[in-house]
Amino acid sequence: MNSLMLLNVAWVALRVNLLRSILTMLGIIIGVAAVIIMLALGSGARYEVDQQIKNLGGNVFIVFSRMRFMGGAQQGGTGQSLTEMDALAIENQIPQVTVAAPMVQSSGQVIYGNLNWAPSILGVDNKIYQAQSWSLAEGRTFTETELSSAGRVAVIGQTVKRELFGASDPLGQTVRINKVPVTIIGVLNGKGQNTQGNDQDDIVFMPIDTVRKRISGITLSSPKAVRSIVVQVASDRDMPLVEQELDALLRQRLRTTANDPPFRIRNLSEMVETRAQTMQIFNGLLAAVASVSLLVGGIGIMNIMLVSVTERTREIGLRMAVGARPADILRQFLIEAVLLCALGGALGLTLALGTTWAVEHFLGYTAIIEPQVVLMSIGFSALIGVFFGYYPARKASRLQPIEALRYE
Amino acid sequence: MQNAVMATLKVEKHYRMGEQVLKALKGVSVGIGQGDFVAVMGPSGSGKSTFMNMLGCLDSPSSGQILLKGTDVTRMSAAELATVRNRHIGFVFQQFNLLPRTTALDNVMLPLLYTAMPRAQARERARHCLELVGLGKRLDHHPSQLSGGQQQRVAIARALVNEPDIILADEPTGALDTETGLEIMALFQQLHQQGKTLVLVTHEPDIAAFASRQLVFRDGLLLTDRQSSPLDAQQALADFRQHRLAEALK
Ligand SMILES: Nc1ncnc2c1ncn2[C@@H]1O[C@H](COP(=O)(O)OP(=O)(O)OP(=O)(O)O)[C@@H](O)[C@H]1O
Ligand SMILES: [Mg+2]
Repeated sequence: MNSLMLLNVAWVALRVNLLRSILTMLGIIIGVAAVIIMLALGSGARYEVDQQIKNLGGNVFIVFSRMRFMGGAQQGGTGQSLTEMDALAIENQIPQVTVAAPMVQSSGQVIYGNLNWAPSILGVDNKIYQAQSWSLAEGRTFTETELSSAGRVAVIGQTVKRELFGASDPLGQTVRINKVPVTIIGVLNGKGQNTQGNDQDDIVFMPIDTVRKRISGITLSSPKAVRSIVVQVASDRDMPLVEQELDALLRQRLRTTANDPPFRIRNLSEMVETRAQTMQIFNGLLAAVASVSLLVGGIGIMNIMLVSVTERTREIGLRMAVGARPADILRQFLIEAVLLCALGGALGLTLALGTTWAVEHFLGYTAIIEPQVVLMSIGFSALIGVFFGYYPARKASRLQPIEALRYE
Repeated sequence: MQNAVMATLKVEKHYRMGEQVLKALKGVSVGIGQGDFVAVMGPSGSGKSTFMNMLGCLDSPSSGQILLKGTDVTRMSAAELATVRNRHIGFVFQQFNLLPRTTALDNVMLPLLYTAMPRAQARERARHCLELVGLGKRLDHHPSQLSGGQQQRVAIARALVNEPDIILADEPTGALDTETGLEIMALFQQLHQQGKTLVLVTHEPDIAAFASRQLVFRDGLLLTDRQSSPLDAQQALADFRQHRLAEALK
């Protein structure tokens, strides 16, 4: 008997006891689904971390000034704030730092024609492109003159372009930002959402002085005060060292020994990793569920195959009488167990596809089902079939023809 | 015995029942010649079925030899015995032993599935055998859609399909009414006339009378081995129907 015919015999046998077959498969279904979901969430998390780290421009610290800029006058009074000079000092005095980009932040309405939109408005210089891995889709960066004379120019993100200009060309157009007329000189390439679900493309870059003097309307302790400094480090091996040096340098420059200095150093890729770790705990849980249900599922398969062999003892006897060799019987029952498991695997895959879809849409996680995972899961469940189906199949093949024929 | 299709030489079969040993066969030597139609008779428990299972290579003797066309099969492995049964022996059982939820055609094809024969050819052979037993119009019926006699005909077609050297039937009419039993016997006689070698177990002398040779067993021994001129089953069937008609008219 060739394998195709055996497969057909097995299929008929499974169909006869359809409900029983499906119930038997349940363990495998849940186990395989859990494995696939686990791997999909794992791949998704890894993808997100990679994407985030890439978007952040690799190895980046952000040093925040703890001074508040918003709501009128500056608070915190002592005049201690990070400045552009601190950014320069970081870049020049810590050799492992490749670039340190100063940044101020404001909110504001951007009005174009009768449309208006409220993106993040960031005052930056041209170092921000390297520090945060931005690139231009079209247009140009700021000129030296625009930077030094608080020029009324802006580079906009993809979301801002879409909301205000739609399909038309924004370059050279004038918008009003907090009532100041500003010319669009460039458009950034898109980055999409970050892990927290925030749209990274909903931003406007303007020269740092422009935001300070013309847009935010806030009186600052120092004319060169900044909200934050984005610090890029050459290699991630240097991250711990640079963190220490940053702390020391800034304490020295701000003349503070306080436990609670007026700045905060944050490592964004660490924040992303933390989230990935939460995922790993969840994954561990799924792995436990998966292995338990695969084991229970496998034992269920073994049990039902033993029942099947007993029920079909006379059939086995007859097949032996008309010429089935022990190996033929072994193969027949092995294929039946494998088919049962492989079908369970396929159903588990379907369940996993549905679940990952739901997890993506309703919980906002990224889940990636890789093709080899699909093949592996079905192959693996077939392997479970071989493992747990072997004993019942061997039992069937060792029956004595005459005893099997006489079996009541 | 030399040119016998099958022969047993001093075959014994012992069953161990706890302390006691039960001797189902106590040294049986007999040859079945090419073209024989043999009826195996004897009281219940005399060893008829045990003897048939030896001939059919379904069971192995405790001692003695079983020869198939001169070759001893008693030392063969399970796989080799399966091949012997597949190539040389056809079985007909009292309880038909058809696969349920499987068509008559597929049931008859079963032995051929364990050979290398291409499926199309096997299908053709099976169809031919079903026509031979008068079921050419029932190819796609499942056993549950057939009468007892028809089921036994399917089983006979299955026994014929691999063109065996010998057909073994253990009480083939045991589960059938008298008329259907006579029909089956007429079919066996027809096969015998076509040159088939047949051995059938029965404890009804009426049935044994259709064979041309009778073996009588008692207590695990072969008591009598006699030739006789067989009754015509077709004629017996006609008489039976006539008689029943007369009864009904009375
Ligand atoms: N598997 C077995 N284990 C123990 N004893 C057995 C076994 N098979 C048969 N016997 C015994 O061997 C003897 C012969 O049995 P066998 O089945 O050959 O009788 P038989 O002539 O076919 O009888 P019947 O006409 O009732 O079918 C009986 O006494 C029976 O109890
Ligand atoms: Mg018997």
